[in-house]
Amino acid sequence: MSILSVSNITDGTDTVETGYVVNGSAKAWVNFNGTGTIAIRDSFNVASLTDNSTGNYNVNFSNSMANTGYSVGSSVDQISPYPIIQAYLASVQTGLVTLNVAQPGTADYDTTSVHGQVSGDLA
Amino acid sequence: MSHLWDRLAEAKSRLAPVQSKYRVLFEDPTQPDAPAAVLVPDPNWMAAALEGNILPPIDTYLRDRDVPDGQPKEHPYAEPIGAMTEEEAIEYLIQKDIPPQVWRDYQGNRSVLKIVPVELIPSDRSFRNAWKINQEMEMAA
Repeated sequence: MSILSVSNITDGTDTVETGYVVNGSAKAWVNFNGTGTIAIRDSFNVASLTDNSTGNYNVNFSNSMANTGYSVGSSVDQISPYPIIQAYLASVQTGLVTLNVAQPGTADYDTTSVHGQVSGDLA
Repeated sequence: MSHLWDRLAEAKSRLAPVQSKYRVLFEDPTQPDAPAAVLVPDPNWMAAALEGNILPPIDTYLRDRDVPDGQPKEHPYAEPIGAMTEEEAIEYLIQKDIPPQVWRDYQGNRSVLKIVPVELIPSDRSFRNAWKINQEMEMAA
């Protein structure tokens, strides 16, 4: 693999430090089907998924994060007739994040499309 | 040596994902009321495992479990290992992503971990929170 080592990237008009690009990139992401036989559609920096129970999944990273101070974005598809199903961040460790898909104050649900994205510092 | 994350990025651009034909069922003996969990290998990770020279030795992950938050970890900088078979990759993943109390420390008589073909995982998730490993199936195997 070739490595290009530069401190700035420019298109001739605008210039940005490579640190902004590296730090601003998602460090892991996943899109999976949480119904039927669970399956990962696509991902990056994910080694496996643990189907813990209804609507509860661990996303296990290949390359761990440096600490637990990272940020997680998550979303799910809409399930009729439950319009306010959400993906919650249940817990974080450096090597995994646990997502919980639920309707606030009621039950957990499996949905056909669960998404997660992680930003922060890599180990 | 390149960073693991860089190798994963390069591998994703080059390798076709591989959907594993296996799943790992397990029950955590420290949580007897919890249902059986199912470990699902990631297709891009499996492609990297089968290709070789991308993933670090499993020992590095095991040692990193004891590294405090914020301290440098070994696995991103370790020399990558060679290609694995799918079965070896599943064993690697068990050690990496399933708690040691399941695959290393458990000394009971019940079967708490089982590698199964994906077809044996129920596609109907009714009563998902009551799933347990079928001990009779284990006896008959």
